[in-house]
Amino acid sequence: MKSNNNNVWSSAEQLNNDPAFIQSLNQEFFELPIVEALGNEEGMIDTTTNRRDFLKFLGFGIGAATVAAGCQIPVKKAIPYVVRPDELVPGIADYYASAFIDGGDFVPVLVKTREGRPIKIESNTLCKMMGGGTSARSQAVVISLYDKHRFRKAGKPGAKFTDMEWAALDTEVKGKIASAGALRIVTNTVISPSLRRAIGEFSAKYPTAKHIQYDPVSSSAILDANAASFGKRVLPTYHFDQADVIVSFAADFLGTWISPVQFAADYAKNRKISKEVKEAKMSRHYQFEAMMSLTGSNADHRTPIKPSESGAAVLALYTAVTGEGGYKLDGKAQKAIEAAGNDLKAAAGKSLVVSGSNDVNEQIVVNAINAKLGSVGSTVDFGAVSNQRQGSDAEMQAAVKEGDAFIFINCNPVYDLPNGKSFGESLKTKKLTVCIGVSPNETAAACQYIAPDHHLLESWGDAEPRTGLYALQQPTISPLFDTRQAGHSLLTWADSANLNKTAEQPYYDYVQKTAESKMAGSKFNKFQAFWETTLHDGIFEQEVAASGASFSGSVADAAAKIAKPQTGLEVVFYETVAMGAGQFASNPWLQEMPDPVTRCVWGNHIAIPMEWNEVSKAFQGLNNLKDGDFATITVGKESLTLPVVRQFGLAKNTVALALGYGRTIAGHATYCVGGNAFPMLTATNGTTSFINKASFETAKGRDREFGIVQLHHTMGIQANGKKDFNVDETTLGIGGFGPQGSLTNRSVIFQGGLAEVGKLAEEMKEKRAEYQHLNSKGLYPDHADKYKAGVHWGMSIDLNACTGCAACTVACMAENNVPIVGKFEVARVHEMAWIRIDRYYHGDVENPTAVYQPMMCQHCDAAPCENVCPVNATNHSHDGLNQMTYNRCIGTRYCANNCPYKVRRFNWMDYTAADLWAWNENKLDKKAGAIADDYFSWWSGEENYMEDNLTRMVLNPDVTVRSRGVIEKCSFCVQRIQEGKLNAKRENRNLRDSDIKTACQTACPTGAIVFGNNNNPESAVSVHRDHELTYIALEEINVRSNVTYRARVANKNTKLEA
Amino acid sequence: MSAVVSRVRQPLIEGHKTYHQITEDICASTEKMPNKQYIWGLILSATIAAFGVGCIALVVWQGIGAWNLNRTIGWGWDITDFVWWIGIGHAGTLISAILLLFRQKWRTGVNRAAEAMTIFAVICAGLYPVFHMGRVWLAPFIFPYPNTRGPLWPNFNSPLLWDVFAISTYFSVSLLFWYTGLVPDFATIRDRARGWRKKMYTFLAFGWTGSAKHWQRWESLSLVLAGISTPLVLSVHTIVSFDFATSVIPGWHTTIFPPYFVAGAIFSGFAMVLTLMITTRKLLKLEEYITINHIESMNKVITLTGSIVGVAYLTELFIAWYSGSVYEGFAFYNRATGPMWWAYFGMMFCNVVSPQVFWIKSLRRNVAFTFFMSIIINIGMWFERFVIISSTLQRDYIPSSWSDYHPTWVEMGMFIGTIGIFMTLYLIFTRIAPVVAIAEVKAILKSSGDQYIGDNAVEHAH
Repeated sequence: MKSNNNNVWSSAEQLNNDPAFIQSLNQEFFELPIVEALGNEEGMIDTTTNRRDFLKFLGFGIGAATVAAGCQIPVKKAIPYVVRPDELVPGIADYYASAFIDGGDFVPVLVKTREGRPIKIESNTLCKMMGGGTSARSQAVVISLYDKHRFRKAGKPGAKFTDMEWAALDTEVKGKIASAGALRIVTNTVISPSLRRAIGEFSAKYPTAKHIQYDPVSSSAILDANAASFGKRVLPTYHFDQADVIVSFAADFLGTWISPVQFAADYAKNRKISKEVKEAKMSRHYQFEAMMSLTGSNADHRTPIKPSESGAAVLALYTAVTGEGGYKLDGKAQKAIEAAGNDLKAAAGKSLVVSGSNDVNEQIVVNAINAKLGSVGSTVDFGAVSNQRQGSDAEMQAAVKEGDAFIFINCNPVYDLPNGKSFGESLKTKKLTVCIGVSPNETAAACQYIAPDHHLLESWGDAEPRTGLYALQQPTISPLFDTRQAGHSLLTWADSANLNKTAEQPYYDYVQKTAESKMAGSKFNKFQAFWETTLHDGIFEQEVAASGASFSGSVADAAAKIAKPQTGLEVVFYETVAMGAGQFASNPWLQEMPDPVTRCVWGNHIAIPMEWNEVSKAFQGLNNLKDGDFATITVGKESLTLPVVRQFGLAKNTVALALGYGRTIAGHATYCVGGNAFPMLTATNGTTSFINKASFETAKGRDREFGIVQLHHTMGIQANGKKDFNVDETTLGIGGFGPQGSLTNRSVIFQGGLAEVGKLAEEMKEKRAEYQHLNSKGLYPDHADKYKAGVHWGMSIDLNACTGCAACTVACMAENNVPIVGKFEVARVHEMAWIRIDRYYHGDVENPTAVYQPMMCQHCDAAPCENVCPVNATNHSHDGLNQMTYNRCIGTRYCANNCPYKVRRFNWMDYTAADLWAWNENKLDKKAGAIADDYFSWWSGEENYMEDNLTRMVLNPDVTVRSRGVIEKCSFCVQRIQEGKLNAKRENRNLRDSDIKTACQTACPTGAIVFGNNNNPESAVSVHRDHELTYIALEEINVRSNVTYRARVANKNTKLEA
Repeated sequence: MSAVVSRVRQPLIEGHKTYHQITEDICASTEKMPNKQYIWGLILSATIAAFGVGCIALVVWQGIGAWNLNRTIGWGWDITDFVWWIGIGHAGTLISAILLLFRQKWRTGVNRAAEAMTIFAVICAGLYPVFHMGRVWLAPFIFPYPNTRGPLWPNFNSPLLWDVFAISTYFSVSLLFWYTGLVPDFATIRDRARGWRKKMYTFLAFGWTGSAKHWQRWESLSLVLAGISTPLVLSVHTIVSFDFATSVIPGWHTTIFPPYFVAGAIFSGFAMVLTLMITTRKLLKLEEYITINHIESMNKVITLTGSIVGVAYLTELFIAWYSGSVYEGFAFYNRATGPMWWAYFGMMFCNVVSPQVFWIKSLRRNVAFTFFMSIIINIGMWFERFVIISSTLQRDYIPSSWSDYHPTWVEMGMFIGTIGIFMTLYLIFTRIAPVVAIAEVKAILKSSGDQYIGDNAVEHAH
């Protein structure tokens, strides 16, 4: 035993020299013995795991895997062609020329079909008269084809919809027609010669029948005025391209008035700045209006006048032009009128005055001005007469009184007549009421019989929108449901001998026969050749010489009848670019398309003016209301409580309210948004007036679902006479009198006046040189050379040509399967549009100027989104595309944060029913449905916008449908690029500049968007870009965007500016 | 003891403790039945934690649409909370590593709890980057592992990927450091325990015998880990700041971010340590180990880092003006006077103005006031991250896309839930491990015990 001489010990064991402790002490620095057992066979035999255990584990493992794998993945059915149709190759799109016809609205289109499904509308560039563009409404018709709310069978509305067979319906209807008394066939404007012929045959068979045309948003006064002034109740064709000076009194010719696609194309021809910037010429456009219309926001000089002042304004212009009458306005407006008058006189003959007013006398004065200026016969062309508005308010009102029986064809008077409600009530006692229509509406619900019509993409048809333009409409899909075309129904009831009932498509034969009479003047000798060519081209155009008409009205008489300007609050009712007169209520694309001016979606709002508040020293909305606050507007006995939206440029003491909303029977409750303003209209002098006196009161609360996509609207607005006052910051932000420069000096928008356009070009050159200098000072090597070889995609957008009509946004939604998110989601700023049209106001607070800027992914070569993605889900292609790989995206949203242009969109929810988990889709609001969900047997079931299998037929099979949790954004239509490349490869040739066009580009009515190969100096995009007014948005941050813009130029009258 | 300690130094251990008393006092919380206060506290914390887990489940279930983030503001409470928690997680390692290297003795009283706090804060922080993903089930994509897709690697240019490495490294090193420190103390408890507790602590003590070799290796490992941790303290928040600094967004794209974030992290970390320690010393009656001197030392660090943060704020403002960049200028103008001005004001007041009161000695030695201030600072630092993230994104280059942001209850619930998770873990920790490092406190007893130094020192035979 070792003695413990040392006096330090750590434990009793050590003190006692415990053997175990000694052992551990000795082993304190021991080393592990090498495990020899591993190399020892005997050791291996002793191990406890044996073959049986192995089999047990294996068995359990496989069993567990099988159970886990047994979880069912939903089965999706796909049925292959057993015998493939000759003309159809799966995966290859077919295009059919057809026409978008909606009342008087007409757009010649190509319908793209895939595997027999129409999925996209393209422009028909062969049509010169209509300019070769499209409208938002025409782009959106494909989804209304697959609208699950459509009628699927003939039947009778009642407590519940009862289906009927066609034969039974025909018998019953025919039986009742005989004893129906005064039968009225009510339609909107009919531009189809075949339908007109069918109605004619029907009327011939039943002499008590009479065809009544009316337009909900009426141009009746123009027709009546033309009858009075020129002796013909027709619309002339307006040639905006031939006018150097345009004066418009509230005519929204770029948005909704008569033929906006054609007018926008013509208008833009005279607005683009030529390459020699200093010698550039463009038309000058004056607009006098109460509300801010799309057209007004594009004008060079827009003067807000009160709605009731419009007559006085027209008269004042008459005096300014002719020096007669001594009519005058007050104050600033008079100055503008005089300036406009002087400009008109200077450009006599190349001038155009139009008015959107529905007052006959105002239109007579407008006619007088045009006649005086010598425009009738040049810009106002009575040679090629337009058929696009033929409705008569007076005739419709007469029919309401005297009709004993009604057949409604694709119209909805119960909803869209001022007295629609009482008309609907009176229909109950009529002898016969039949509704021919595509989808349920208020009128259908009030009728005895429903004879469902084909959707226009299922129809044979024709159109003659104006003299010299004949178009054919052909079906692009077999009728989805048991429907029958309107003309076919009428002819059946008329027992027409001209309808070949035994033919496979009786109405096709009928249209063809109608076409025979249209061949005159064509180069064809044989009808078959004419027919086939017209069917292929979609249109048959003939030049028609311009012709005038002699004016024979009395201005003095008209002036005496024009109402005097009134004091007090007035309201102006207008048609929106998207919704028309409400016929598109169940179209989710159009509901979700932001209004170009208010930027609101899903519903109508009371636009209120901005006013200076002396107490708070700020500009405020009327009654100090904020966007989304409720207010009540009352006209006579009718009142509506709706959210307000503050609108720059509204005339004082004026509010504006859109028509076409507040449908009660349009589909699920979700589609019945807003309030119906039609009952607030009144008839004056036999025409419906779209202005009225109103009272306006603040209501309680705020709309939680107020959907607006742009919350900040201005880019440097200054208050009148308050030089340092920044409206942007004090009115729209919180905080003080902020630095004006922080908004105006942004290199997002460049704009200037035509007179100083040289100076603008210099300024831009200087700024761009500075940016480029700074950008060249980077620390890192420049990879620009990488993209100099081969193809490099780019886009150029002319802000001077863009009118903001939003056709591109809807086209993009259709092409790229952009999700529909609904009202509540937009209110949460979750809208998904890949291309948006930013609208900025600048200038004077009371009367600002607007700039529209289409904004989409800029496909930056030094993209900030690309380097921050942790998983490489977004990256750059060799041809300059910023690509999005949905499969790889994990959804960190860093790319969206880091995008300076804020164009990346995140799938917050499962908007397109693309998720593996079916329970988290964005369900529609079921509550408070206007009609019960089971009213039609086919209305129950799925509730998501995109969950419904019928609606999903609109999806473009070339574009991935995104699931929730991934980012998406503009791809420059990469599917089209690939298609173009493959075609070129297959044909063994180089890619041509015209091979690839993006969806937004083809949709644009004004040719504002040009796409192509940057590296080819002769490509359209390179040529378009080679312009002194070209700039890159946010060039100084050196992200090397591949999209360029051309500055906005306004042709200001310098005398008026001073 | 051999060390010579100035008499001016205040004692760090009070109450004339002996080694045995230290063991008794500190082990007590792991050995006695918990009191009612504790039980109720645990139930409350666990309930809040469960609610948080529910919120997370809801987000996975519904999608990020359960939050009110939008087109313009892609990060809101989620990343704000993430940065906040990561910042809080900084004090522990700073105390255990940097102060160890600087041989700051006062660290021994608080390092254990601070390190635990670090671990739990990083756990809470880590939840956010994972669950803010739109498709969380694909989160493994973020790791560089060989795969059959090419192979397809993550984007090594992305700061988010750097984050993954920075945080996982920080977490593993911190955990290791913490556990290493716990081993001798677990052994102490093991030696006193019986039954299943004996078994558990035997496992946790990792075969510790207290031999000289063990102590030698333990000291070496602590030093090595301290060496590794020290740069991590600086690097983690530097890399978190890169999430913003490498972007192009005005208000994010600034070179000042790394030092500014690190200072802010230490600032908030110390505030949270104070919040916890003041509560713990009170509840577990450890006033003699976590003394007023400890609190004062930490308040001094808070004053320093708070001032650094203040300088950073002012520098940002100056540069925003001096750069002449309209975007930069507007970004800061908007922070201060835009729709979220209240967050900026809260940040400035809580982080810059309020800590300056600690120049007054009586306030820095006032426990109740310090506790109040620690809460204020935690709130202020949350505001700072919110200002940097949401009010910057709110209004950047393109005015048309400016938007606003109001959180839903789900994202608020997730934040509250992580506080619950944090508190639950901390409360469990206080029952399992000694909240003060027994071994380390014993090591300084003879140099810093109040019977040896200070006004109450008694003569001792050395």
